[in-house]
Formats: sequence, structure tokens, C-alpha cells
Amino acid sequence: MSIMEYNGGSVIAMVGKDCVAIASDLRLGSQALGISSNFQRIFPVTDRVYVGLPGLATDVTTLRERFRYRVNMYTIKEEREIEPETFAHLVSSTLYQHRFGPYFIEPVMAGLSKTPSGGFKPFIAATDLIGCLNFAKDFVVAGTASAKLFGVAEGLWEPDLEAEDLFETISQTLLNAVDRDAYSGWGAIVHVITKDKIITRTLKGRMD
Amino acid sequence: MIMPDMDSLAHPQERRFNPYTENGGTILAIAGADFSVIAGDTRQSEGYSIQTRYAPKVFRLTDRAVLAVNGFAADGNMFVKKVKQRLEWYHHAHAKDMPLRAIARLIQTMLYARRFFPYYVYNILGGIEEDGTGAVYSFDPVGSYEREACRAAGAAQSLVQPFLDNQIYFKNQEAAQGTSHPSHLPLETVLSIVIDSFTSATERHIEVGDGLEIFIALSKGRTLQGMESIRGLQELTVTEDGERLFVMRRDLKKD
Repeated sequence: MSIMEYNGGSVIAMVGKDCVAIASDLRLGSQALGISSNFQRIFPVTDRVYVGLPGLATDVTTLRERFRYRVNMYTIKEEREIEPETFAHLVSSTLYQHRFGPYFIEPVMAGLSKTPSGGFKPFIAATDLIGCLNFAKDFVVAGTASAKLFGVAEGLWEPDLEAEDLFETISQTLLNAVDRDAYSGWGAIVHVITKDKIITRTLKGRMD
Repeated sequence: MIMPDMDSLAHPQERRFNPYTENGGTILAIAGADFSVIAGDTRQSEGYSIQTRYAPKVFRLTDRAVLAVNGFAADGNMFVKKVKQRLEWYHHAHAKDMPLRAIARLIQTMLYARRFFPYYVYNILGGIEEDGTGAVYSFDPVGSYEREACRAAGAAQSLVQPFLDNQIYFKNQEAAQGTSHPSHLPLETVLSIVIDSFTSATERHIEVGDGLEIFIALSKGRTLQGMESIRGLQELTVTEDGERLFVMRRDLKKD
């Protein structure tokens, strides 16, 4: 029995043209037993940064509060919102502080970072449970369906997708991956972050 | 003088020979209305080492039957050898090739015969049925089998199968108003899905890569319909005016 697979659940993030998307299933389980079909594991950090926390459910709650506390402290001290790159390093160092007794979470982050010219640049990242950062240029995955997500995303993703096309790509990737994973599924949620709005949609998927 | 290790002699020790290994790689088959495509990569590995970059996993059985074997390579090669032997005996006895559904049942009995010392392989049988339809049969190591429209097996099964669910079965896709999803795709589409599946698996799985062999079985009377000039295509058909069999070879990344 792996602690990482105790509650199930998966998260994926993708880069598009001037936009990013992050999506997750909604299952909370206790091994094979389903407990909830409305378990949120993606949280807003700022208006432009979202974080997904797949892994042990008790640590989802703990880490969410911990990140909220640390982001608030940053905002007060710096008198500005945290940038996604900075947040990724905050996540990384928080997890590494627990190197020898880790939180059983592999966070996935997605956001738009400010450029010096005043524009926005898509940003995604993921870490393992001890905070090793992965800044991918295309997509990142984590959770019990990660192998399936890798396979489908590698086949469906292409560069410079517009927001609506990115939504379709990430949705299809997630839905088809979790349908082949017993520990993920039971509904899904997708967030697409663009420079002037965030599109959040709950998907209708297989409930078995 | 070497002192005997009294500690190790004090209590019994067990030594065991493990007759199985896992040799990586992935296989895949898709059935069309009047054709069948059976593919496999050619990398053979053990642990993190590559034993060879060209070890075929997909084999011609007859002009209308192709068998792909994945798992423990030694068992796989032996199994294919035995199946071919049985098919030869059948040919001598009945003066014709064994029909595909009969080969499928034969494979089941051959696998189940070794129920308590199994061939450590997943089999996918592809080809043309007696009624001319394309068929895919997939097996577990002890002979449980099923006819399907598509199946992936092996190291990258978990990467490829959900992609196939989406692209072949159109899972999670709604057909446009007043239309329906096709139950069988054209050969050209199937081939590009197969190639995409393997390039994706190669990208993300260390045990997949090096080369790709795609077998194409065509129903009696069907032609390649303008795909004759496709790169790296070779005809393997033995008998005339029957089903036709082709193989197509592609390179995959070697890292």
C-alpha cells in the first residue's frame, strides 16, 4: 500500500498561446472505496496563479493552509502579489524543509507571469513530494493517473493552442486518462487562465 | 587456511532460480472494416540495459494472421515457434491455412496448458476473419481472450491505451448533431494513430524505442488504395488471390 495512492486523484497543467490550463479529477477515495465526488484539490493562489495538490488528502488540507499562510506573509512583506516562478520556489522550499518526513503531495502549478514589458507569459511547473522542481515547456502531470496522463498528453498536446482549444485538449487528456485509472475520476474540473479572465468549468464524465 | 563461516552454516539458507525476466517494449493492434494493423517496437531491454535495438515482437503466422508477443522475450519466441509448428501441422492435415478465430482458440488452449508454469507473455493476434472483416484478439498470459477493435499491451500500455480509447473508440467525444462516430477508421488514419502512439510512448517510456514494425493485413480483394508508395513498405504475401500482408518499418528515437 503506497501512501501516495491512498486517496487517489490526479492533476495536469498545460501551456497554450498566452494562456495556461490546470485540471483535476474530483475523486476522494479510501483505497478502492469512493468517499467523495466533489473533492477540490486545485486552489487559487493569486488572480493569476493556481496550484493543484494531488496525493494524500490530509496533506492537501495542511499544505493548502501552509501555502496560504506563506503567500499572505509574502504579500504583506513585499506589498505585491507573488509571481508564479516565486511561488514555485516557495512550494519547493516548503516541501524540502520536510526532506526526511515529507508531505505526500506532488504539487502542480499553473499561472501567468508578468514580463518587464507589461505583458504576460505562460508558466507551469510541478515538483515531487520533496520539492524537486520541473519547469516544463509543454505540460506537467501528477497523481495516480500520471502514466496515463503522460501518454494521452504526449499524443494530443501541440504548441500555441488558443484558450478554447487548450480547454478541449486538457479536458480530453484528463477524462480519457482518469477513465483508465481506478483511483481517479468521479468528475473533473478545469481552469483556463488567460490575461483578462479565468474560465472554470466542471466536466461531465464517467462516474464509475 | 580459510575459516569456514560458522554463522552461515548454522542455519539453513534458501537459493532460488528465477525463470522469468521482463524485456520491455510495447505492442499494439487496431482492426479496420476490411484490414488489421499489428505493430510493435523493436527494442529489447533488461532492467536499464538495452540488449538489442532490433528484436522483432510481431510475427507473420499466415497470410491473414499476425501475432504480436510482449513480456518475457524467451517465452515469447518459444511460444511463437510452437504456434507456427501447430499451424504447419494443421496445413499438412487440412491443406489450408487455419482460420483466424481458430488460431485464437488454439492460442488460448496452448496458454492454458501452461496454467501453472505460464508463458510470461501478453499476446495480441491480428488479421482477417473468414468473413473478410479485420480482427484483433488480445490474450492474458494464461489464455483469457477477447475479440476487440483495438488493444495495446506491454511496458507502455498505460500510456497508449487511453489515447486509443479517445482516438479509436472516440471516448469522451460527442458526435456532432445528426452524425455518429465511425465504428471503423480508414487505413491511413489508423496508421498515423499507430505511429503517433509509438512516438509518444518512445518520448515518455525508457523501454520503448529504436524501431517500429507495422504489419498490415488486407482482406481478400482489397487494395492499398493509393498507399502503395508509402515509405518502407514491403509485401509478405505468399499465396495468390487471397488476403495480402505487408510490413512497414520506421525508426524510433534511440535514446
